[in-house]
Order: sequence, then C-alpha cells, then structure tokens
Amino acid sequence: MLEIKNLHAVVEGEDIEILKGVNLKVNKGEIHAIMGPNGSGKSTLAKVAAGHPEYEVTGGDILYDGESILELDPDERAHAGIFLAFQYPVEVPGVTNTTLLRESYNTIAASRGREELDPLEFDDYISDKLELVQMKRDFLDRSVNTGFSGGEKKRNEIFQMAVLQPKLSLLDETDSGLDIDALKIVSDGINKLHGDDDAVILITHYQRLLNYIEPDFVHVMIGGKIVKSGDKTLALKLEEQGYDWLEAHATVNGEAG
Amino acid sequence: MSETKALESMIGEEYKYGFTTDVEYEDFPKGINEDVVRLISEKKNEPEWMTEFRLKAYRNWTEMEEPSWFNATYEKPKFDTLQYYSAPKNKPKLNSLDEVDPNIRETYEKLGIPLEEQKMLAGVAVDAVFDSVSIFTTFKEKLAEAGVIFCSISEAIQDHPELVKKYMGSVVPARDNFYAALNSAVFSDGSFCYVPKDTICPMELSTYFRINNMNSGQFERTLIIAEENSHVSYLEGCTAPMYDEHQLHAAVVELIALDNAEIKYSTIQNWYSGDEDGKGGIYNFVTKRGACRGKNSKISWTQLETGSAVTLKYPSVILQGDNSVGEFFSVAVTNKRQQADTGTKMIHLGKNTKSTIISKGISAGKSDNSYRGQVKISKKADNARNYSQCDSMLIGQTCGAHTFPYIESANPTGKIEHEATTSRVGEDQIFYLQQRGISEDDAISLIVNGFCKEVLKELPMEFAVEANKLLSIKLEGSVG
Amino acid sequence: MNSSTSVESSFLHRLAKHITASGKWAAIRNQSQKDLNMSSFPHKKIEEWRFTDLRPITRTEFVPFDEAGVFPATDIEQYFIPESDRSRLVFINGNYHEKYSSIGGLGKGVTVGNLSDFEEHDSVSEYLNKLVNYDNDVFVHFNGLNFVDGAFIHLEKDAKAEAPIQVLNLYTDAKEPFISTPRLLVVAEEESDVTIIEDHIGLAGNTYLTIPVCEVKAKQGAHIHHVRIQRDSLSALHVSRPIAYVEKNSEYHSYTINLGAKLARNEPRVVQEDEEVDFTLDGLVLIDGEQVADTHSVMDHRFSHGESHQLHKVVVNGSAHSIFNGKIFVRKDAQKIDSFQENRNLLLSNDGLVNTKPQLEIFADDVLCSHGATIGQLDPEEVFYLQSRGMTEEKAKEVLTYAFALETIENMKVESVHKLLIEEVYRYTKANTVAKVTA
Repeated sequence: MLEIKNLHAVVEGEDIEILKGVNLKVNKGEIHAIMGPNGSGKSTLAKVAAGHPEYEVTGGDILYDGESILELDPDERAHAGIFLAFQYPVEVPGVTNTTLLRESYNTIAASRGREELDPLEFDDYISDKLELVQMKRDFLDRSVNTGFSGGEKKRNEIFQMAVLQPKLSLLDETDSGLDIDALKIVSDGINKLHGDDDAVILITHYQRLLNYIEPDFVHVMIGGKIVKSGDKTLALKLEEQGYDWLEAHATVNGEAG
Repeated sequence: MSETKALESMIGEEYKYGFTTDVEYEDFPKGINEDVVRLISEKKNEPEWMTEFRLKAYRNWTEMEEPSWFNATYEKPKFDTLQYYSAPKNKPKLNSLDEVDPNIRETYEKLGIPLEEQKMLAGVAVDAVFDSVSIFTTFKEKLAEAGVIFCSISEAIQDHPELVKKYMGSVVPARDNFYAALNSAVFSDGSFCYVPKDTICPMELSTYFRINNMNSGQFERTLIIAEENSHVSYLEGCTAPMYDEHQLHAAVVELIALDNAEIKYSTIQNWYSGDEDGKGGIYNFVTKRGACRGKNSKISWTQLETGSAVTLKYPSVILQGDNSVGEFFSVAVTNKRQQADTGTKMIHLGKNTKSTIISKGISAGKSDNSYRGQVKISKKADNARNYSQCDSMLIGQTCGAHTFPYIESANPTGKIEHEATTSRVGEDQIFYLQQRGISEDDAISLIVNGFCKEVLKELPMEFAVEANKLLSIKLEGSVG
Repeated sequence: MNSSTSVESSFLHRLAKHITASGKWAAIRNQSQKDLNMSSFPHKKIEEWRFTDLRPITRTEFVPFDEAGVFPATDIEQYFIPESDRSRLVFINGNYHEKYSSIGGLGKGVTVGNLSDFEEHDSVSEYLNKLVNYDNDVFVHFNGLNFVDGAFIHLEKDAKAEAPIQVLNLYTDAKEPFISTPRLLVVAEEESDVTIIEDHIGLAGNTYLTIPVCEVKAKQGAHIHHVRIQRDSLSALHVSRPIAYVEKNSEYHSYTINLGAKLARNEPRVVQEDEEVDFTLDGLVLIDGEQVADTHSVMDHRFSHGESHQLHKVVVNGSAHSIFNGKIFVRKDAQKIDSFQENRNLLLSNDGLVNTKPQLEIFADDVLCSHGATIGQLDPEEVFYLQSRGMTEEKAKEVLTYAFALETIENMKVESVHKLLIEEVYRYTKANTVAKVTA
C-alpha cells in the first residue's frame, strides 16, 4: 500500500535536512508504530507524506498503491485515502465541524465515484460516528477546533477519521495530552475503525498507547532515519532502556528493517 | 505565497454589473446654484415648504467645507460640472409595469431583480431607483391593505406631506455634514416607508439603486418611520456601470422607531469599484442614521459592502428611548485600489440602552479598509451597555487594515467592551482543510465565510442567497 | 499642513524671546528656534487634541524663569530611593544639582551625569535632539531652545549598571508660574543593561509647566527597564515626550505611573529599528478631582519579528477626565509581529469622563495584533462576592480598585519603587473609597 524509499526532505528554503533516507513499507491490514526521541523526524515524515508545503522532498520517493504521490496536492492525497491526524489540530474559526466534514466527505466521495450525501443523509451518517468517540451532538455545530480542549481536539481528529474512512491513517502523537480515559476512548475508536483493507501508522513518544493498540511492527526513528525495526517487544525494550542504546547504532548503521 | 495568489485571483473576479443601459435623458443643466435647486423642485412639482427645505440646505452647504478627516485619498468631486438631476425621459407617472422603458426593465432583469408582480414567490416588495428616479414600486396594493405605505419619496411628498414634513431632516438635519447638506438640497428621489401602529409589515421591502448616466451624481433620500409596536425589514441593493470617471453617490437615510418598534435595515452594496489602477468607480458618501425615539425600540443595520472606489459610511443609531437597542453588523471587502472607511456610531442617551457592533473587514490587493466607530455613553444613560468586536483579515502585503474606535463614557454605571483583532488566512489552516480533501480555493472560501459568518446570518433570509452569491463573485468558489 | 504661513504665535513663542543663550547647545538651539517658528500651538480641531482641553495651559500667565521668584527646595532626601544611593541625578526645576546627586556606584562602562558636562561626548553629538520626533511640536522645540542641563546615561558595550539609576526631577514653589524643560538621553550600547527610575515630583501646590523630553537608544541586545513616575503638583501641567528606538534583539520596557498634575499629556513612542525586539509600554493612571490625564502612545513596528505589549489601566474619580489613544502601527514587510494592547478604564464617579481610542493600523498580513478596551465600574458580582465574605461594600470596592490598579506595577524590578507605588495606589484607593459612587 505504502512504500517510502530512501526519502530525504528539508524545510522549504532551508538547508537543514530533516529526513535523511527513510525506508518503510506498509501493507494493507497492518498497524505500524514509529517511535523515537524529540526531533528525530517522526512528525516530519507524517507531514511530508500528507504533502505539507513547508517541506521539500530532495531525494527518494513515496509510492502509494504503487504510484508516486510526490506531485500530488494535499487535497488530492486526501482524495486518494491518506488521512493525517494532526499533532496540533488547527483552529478554523467560523467553520463548523459539520460544514467541514460534509464538504470534505462529499469531495472525497465524488473523487472516488461514490454518491454524495445531502445534509439530512449526512446528519444520519455522522450521528453513529459521534458515539465512537463519545462526543455530544452540539460538538458538530462548534467551529472546527476553536476553543476545544487539547483532548477534544484529539478526539475530533479521530472522529474525522471515522467519518472520512481513509485507507491509510497517519496518527501523529494522537495520544499526547490525553488522560487515561480519553486515551481509552481514542484507542477503542482506532481499533474499531481498523480493518483488513486499511493501514494505520501510529507516531508516538510513549509505549503506553501500544498497550491499547497492538502494532504489527515497531520502528525506531533517530536522526531522520529508521534505525531499528521489530515487533511490539521492541517498544517494551525502549520503555525500559530508552533510546541511548540505539543512538550509537544510528551513527554506524542507518539501514534497518 | 500560493494561497495569497489564489485568493487574489478569486477576489479579483470581474464585475458583472458593469453594462450600460441605453436610455434617453431629460435635459438638465450641469453645476449647482439656487436656480438649479429651484429647478429640481419645480421638475418634481414640489410644494413650497419642500423648495424652502432644499434652498436652506443649499445655503448651508455653500458655507460648509468638504471634510477630509477620513482615511482615504481621492480626487475631489467637481461639484460645478456635476449633473444634479438625471431622469430617463419617458417617465411621467406609471400605472403598470408595462409602461416602464423596456431598456430599464431589461436592466433590472439582468440584475436578477424581480420587478414583475407575478414573481409573487419572491415575496419581496421592490422600489427600483434608476439614476435617482424611482421607476416602479411593486406590491403597493398588497402593502396598502396592511396599512403600510411604501412608495417613492417624491410620491410621499405629494401624497403624505404631513409625514414627510414631520420626519424628514429630524434625524439627519440638513446641516449635519457636507454631503448630507448637498443631498438635502438636490435629492431627486428615493424610498419612503411608513408602518402604522401595531403593524407587522407583511413582506420584506427592498429598493434597488442603479446609477446609469455617466455624468450624474446620485442623491437619493430614504425615510422609514415605524410607529408604536410595528416592525419592518428593508433591504437595499446597489449596482452601477463601469465608467472611467468617478461618480458621486451621496444618499441620506433616516430611520425613526417609536415605542416598541423595530426596523431592520440591510444593505448589499456592490457599486462599481473601479479598475486595477483605481480608475473609475463610485464615491459612496452616505449618511445613514436611525433614531430609537421610543421605549424598547430597536434599529439594526446590516451591511455587506463590496463595491465602490471610496466608501465613507457610518450607519448610526441614536438610542434615545429607554431600553432601546442598536445593532450594527458589517462585512466590508476591499480589493484593487478600493478605499473603505466605514463603521458606526452608537449614541446612548436613554437608560438601559444596549448596542452591539460586529464588524469584519477583509482587505486585499492594494486596498485600504478602515473601521471607524464611535460609542458614547452620555451622563444620563444609566446602565447602558455596548459590546464591539472589530476583526480584520489581510490578504497579501500591499493592503492595509485600520481600526479607529472612539469610545467615551460619562456614566459610571455604563459598560463598554471593545475588542479588535487582525489575522490572516493561515497556511496551516489551508493545509489542514486540504488534508481533509478540500481544494485550496474552497478552503480559502470556507475560511473567509467563517470569518464573516456572524454578520451574514443577520441578513434577511430572502437575501442570504444573494449575499452569498455576491461574496462568491468577490471570493469565487463554493460556499457551504 | 501649510504651517509655514499660518503659525499662530502662542505664549511659548513669546516666552522663547526671553530665553538667553547659555553658550551651550548652539546647533540644537538654532534648529529648535527655527522649528518653533514653523510650529503652531495645538488646538481641539486637530484630531490628536480633539478631547483635550488645553485651557489650563493657555490661560496660565507663565513668566520667564528668572522672574518667577522660585523658592529653594527643602527636605528632598525623602525622595531618594535606597537602591540608587550611589546612582542618582537630581534636577531642581530642570537645573542639575551636583550636591544632591551621587554617581559613583555604577561600575565599569557606565557614564552618568549632567548633559551639559558631556557636550563633546560622541553619543551626545550623535543622538541628542536627533531621536526626538514629534513633527511640528511646539513643546519639543521649546524644550530644545530652553534646556541647558539634563540627565545623560551611557552604557558601553556589555556594560551592566550595578544599580538602578534614579533621575529625580523636583519642582519647587514659586511666586509666579514658570516653565521647566527637563531632558534625558539614554544610550545603551550592544548587550548592555540598565534600569532607570525617572521621577517627577512637585514639592508644593503651585502651578508650573514641565516639558520633559526623553530620548532612548537601545542598541543590539541591550535591555532597558524604564519607570516613569509623575507626581507633579495638582496645579501643575505636564507635557512629556519620551521616545525610544530599539535595535535587533533589544528589549525596552517602560512603565508610566500618572498620579499628579492638573493636566498631563504623555506621548510615549517606541520605534522598532530591526528584527527580534521586545517592548512594553504600560501605564497606570489614577486621577481624581479636576485632573485630566491624556496618553497618546505609538508603537511603531517597522521590521519583522517583533513582540510588543501595552497594558494601560485607568481609574477615574471626581470630575476627572482620562483620554487614551494607543496607536499600533505595523508597516509593510513587518511580518510576524505579535502585538497586544489592552486598555481598562474604571469609571467611579458620576462626573468623571473617559475617552479612549485604541487604534490598529496594519499593513502586513502575517501578524497577530489585537486590542481590547473596556470602560465600566467594578463588577457587581465581585463586590457581592467579597461582601458575602464579610466585607462592607466600601471595603469590597476599595479592595477591588486596589487590585485593579496593582496589576500594572507587578513588573517593577526595583523593590523600593514597587513598595512606593503600592503605597501610592493604596493611598489613592483609600482616599477614593468609592463612597462617592451612587450605587
């Protein structure tokens, strides 16, 4: 489904390289976790995959369903089924959640040749999804993320994921800033949404999320590269030993997994 | 910056109402003096008191100086070469729509304005003003059944002199300001509305203003009176052809609300705004003021200002009656070389009076957009309240946004809160919406509409669609 | 506009003829004389003066200083702040007094003294009267013509003043109203650091007009903390022009406390000269009786990446009148500006008046600017809350007024000044126990 090949990227207009040759392969039905210390390039990888204009790809490629998506605009990537749950969801004052989601749902539906929903049908459709993240109805009429608490913003991202039904979900530190109850709700939601036809990439700092969502693969990213890959036991080892034992490894051998 | 470009191209959409209508005009001398003022009055068969009203205003005007305190620079109108009266030739009194000059009818059709009575579904009574002369008023009979008088001001002077005499100039005195004085001397037509006691006006009233003649100024006069326990909602729309020369529009609008009465006045202003280099376009110098004379009365101004080369306009409310309420909701969009200096005045005189101001300014291109407002709580206005929110959005780096709120309180029980912010369409917002599958153009449109939402929702239902359409013309792309 | 032809002569123009040259500042005097001849005395028809009644100034018969019959200053030690024991400049009616001053305790690289002893100093020739920029302002030009002494503060590169510098301006009793023209020049070179306490005190209840002109230059990375306390006589007239220029990475934080004077017009300005600056222009105004306090400030952002804050708090009682106009300019190309202005007015009396005009003028799109202004009385809910906790209504109002005013002086770095201002606020709120309000 997704294949990242020797990906290099810099901040647009600057020389500092943030991704220094990332390789990653994700198949349908899989859950991957990417872990790593602050500044290792995890969030950048997610943003680059979604096409954030702040970054420029200087080498390598991203293949999605076998084709390069580097030339696609962010909205075209979204139409193709790529969803990014933002680490810091953006506030859009005056635009309600419903407006955004209907607009979004219908453009994606149209691009995939599915039927668009009128406001009433759409209302029915999203009511079910609300329960998934245990949010109240009035939440729909509030401006997107405006005045939301940190936890509400994160739940809103998962709610949007539920509505838009992406094929590939990149969840950027969706667990950070959540208390234990909210974390359970969010993880439950993600687990319910995940199936055989889609893939999920979890970007996280902490092992605790992986107690609730079981990854098939765990990758460690340090210094703009994936330095180690393994199964979920790798996450436990990281929890115990930190990243130090891998950092030396990173400078010697960038190739892993 | 790509989002800026996209937005600029959207806002830069061509003006669709720039065509000219080919009609014959009555001859009328250019320039202004007492004889011209008399001639206007004569042409309109006005009674002596009206002629005197005009002459007095004219004499005031000659003693006044053209103001220059606002935040706009432009070539001053040439008052001595302007034509102060412009009427299409075939226009004595019209009894049915068939008698309207077909060219003019076509004009209104092109503008999408229903003049024909059979367009009942629209449910809106229309007074169409073409180069300062009222062409036709629809639904007159139906309104008359309810006791509502809706006609041109010229007719009102003939048919309801006692009302015009009593109220005209009572809110905006002839010497109020330079342009109001000029209007009082030379106004040619406009709309008049009287809603009697205990009456809710059965439909939306609306006037469409069209400037066609190249050399004429438009000086219309609107007077709306809402008696005790009455209610009326009124909307005006404005368009003009594209000429290289500037045209002057100096209107006066007076609203009077008595005990428990409510007037809602909405404007969709889309005069021609001139070209990229600031050539042509309307000077929109308008005095609009409402008086909440009665207890518990309410006056609400809503405006969507998108056109004109230069706009100087401050729809105001004088809150005289105890517990009266004033509101001002405004969206002003400027682009190219447009200059808008607009806002409101809320003058609190009565006890427990309340006012709300919500102003949204969007500037793009090489334009300047200023909010200028005054909130005043006088010594006797116990427990008066005001809340103001003035937000500006800038698009690109060659425009300017300005806020000049004048706030004054002389009463310790009064409370004024004013907030203003400046922001822009953020790259992160656009990316977020794009990531949800929405195109860049639509994302911008959504954000701008979200920014204006609080104001747009105040427009009467019948016109909300029209307003959205206009914003779409200025800000192309889909609106949710 | 066409000022060259239509200059109206005022008392300042007349008094200017009586000023005798001291032999100092010849160039500045010449220029000021020329500029004064080109400038008119302001009046209400000018937008910037529209709310300010200048009659207290124009109706006073000022006499040349020599003819005013000034009395000597006594008991002035009480105004010395202990932290500035060895870093104090004292001016009486604008004249420097070495015997009360003490300038030994500032450490390496810090020069402090009377301006007229530093006429040849590079920074003086480079900046004095060059930074002040108020267009055709009669007050500035009169000061330029009249001043001889003044405070001079210079910090060399990396110099840190070891103690806060107190610039004490005292005004004495006199038989006739006189005019004083204090002057302050601060030049802080790269990475230097200084705290300045500028104090204006009227020793008696007499009428005088003081026109302090203050010029500040903060070079790259310099930090300046500037406290300005105005405790003039309640008959005095105070027109001040403090202007600061801030270079890259510098910080300028100014706090003006307006307590005295019958009419005070204060026009602080900060001009951003490069990127990455941080400045503050806070004010506290506590007025009563017939006092008028007028602040017209300008925060001028000319380059990208600037942060600025302004908190202007006002309490009005009696028949006092407060005027505020705070301009925030963000020029073209000055992106990523973060500017916040807040003006809070507490109107306590039936005869008081508050005029405020916060003003944003923005020409760049990537900025975050906001202002808020409120006028009102104390929140009845808060008063009730305190009453329900056992306070009398008067006490509750006193406590809340005190708390309202206190916020602006929280950032005072010098302890004795902080204490002094708390006492002033306390004295004001106590005296104005708000009992005058009819509920």
